[in-house]
Amino acid sequence: MNLSRPDRPQRLDLLAAQYALGTLPARARMRLARMAQTDTVVAGAIRSWEQRLSPLAEGGPPITPSPRLWKVIALRLGLEPVRAAAPAPWWNRVALWRGLALAGFVAAFALGITLLAPTPQGPEQAIVAVLAGQDAKPALIASIGRADRILTVKAVDAAVVPPDKVLQLWMLPNGQPPRSLGVLPRGAVARITLPNVPEIAFANVPALAVSLEAAGGSTTGAPQGPVLYSGKLERMY
Amino acid sequence: MAVAPPAEKSLRLATLLSRIALGDQAAFGEFYEKTSSHLYGVALRILRDPSAAEEILQEAYVNVWHHAGSYEAAKSQPLTWLTTIVRNRCLDQLRRRELDTVTLSNDDDDDAPAYDPPSDAPSPATMLMAGAEARSVRDCVDTLDAGPKQAIALAFYHGLSHSELALQLREPLGTVKSWVRRGLEKLKTCLDRAGYARSE
Repeated sequence: MNLSRPDRPQRLDLLAAQYALGTLPARARMRLARMAQTDTVVAGAIRSWEQRLSPLAEGGPPITPSPRLWKVIALRLGLEPVRAAAPAPWWNRVALWRGLALAGFVAAFALGITLLAPTPQGPEQAIVAVLAGQDAKPALIASIGRADRILTVKAVDAAVVPPDKVLQLWMLPNGQPPRSLGVLPRGAVARITLPNVPEIAFANVPALAVSLEAAGGSTTGAPQGPVLYSGKLERMY
Repeated sequence: MAVAPPAEKSLRLATLLSRIALGDQAAFGEFYEKTSSHLYGVALRILRDPSAAEEILQEAYVNVWHHAGSYEAAKSQPLTWLTTIVRNRCLDQLRRRELDTVTLSNDDDDDAPAYDPPSDAPSPATMLMAGAEARSVRDCVDTLDAGPKQAIALAFYHGLSHSELALQLREPLGTVKSWVRRGLEKLKTCLDRAGYARSE
């Protein structure tokens, strides 16, 4: 398979065609695939043929795979094992806070940065999350300066918390269960100390949420009560 | 076969892919539902082994979950893109399997069993026509003579190699090879004229 000969284009085209069709014998197939990894001309010839033949693939009748296949995939990826059998945990219902993200972002501007707790760097160096409920109305605003360790949580329009209940603040890390940031002290402005500066503490955290818990907060390390508010962390720099 | 118009389906799949890229499990579930039986059919016809076919699909979907956002090619034709990947993985495995079991026998080995497609399955040539949904593709497939058409269909849908084709079609290897070559050339000329552009 010397592709450096003068008739290379024709030979390459035929090899690529047979590769895409599938008739190339094992060794020739592997060789051509290896060449395609470094040689863009070879890769391009294969791609053209794959595209040309691709409409044919629709002709084969579909065959439903065993339900076991989905279970194995879900297990491997750590997804909910059985789809639709039980509702996903609320923090997996990404629509919940992703849907709110834009509303929250818009709200942050609508409310004006003036609502933010003053930070040493000023608002342009802040990280903000507008936490809203199902109705998308901002309830709490969490903010912190980029180099700060204290997260300020301001009540804008939060529900009245019964005396035997508390609000608990959670980080929603990507692909992991929520992590508690602690119970919010009562009052119009609560301050929560982060384990680290936001750059590190929020490294893999796109959003925050607040749940309603029995006094003292969740005892399991995961939210036990209903999630009242959630919002995306917006980095204002 | 195709329920939704292809363009509409592609659009939906592309939307799902972009949501999968954000970690949306519901989107991933829907994507699986909409694509798995097509892909499984492709894989099973080639590998003829349910657990091997499932394994290929498993890898394919795990990759979709992890890399949904990074495939430019996937955006216009998600199912085409995924089908090509699955077909190639299956063919790699099939050919490697042959390499392991066959000690490079001469090509007219009469002892090798000919491939028997299940009797209730549509014939490969029928699939070829069904696949050629777009009119220009169907017209091009139609220009092929019976022999080349049959050879290309068996190779495309069932992963038959040249020597298997020769056995299956009861023709000398040389004849089958030239059928495949001529058939592919004819398809190329016709498809390229009809606007099935080159890559990108």
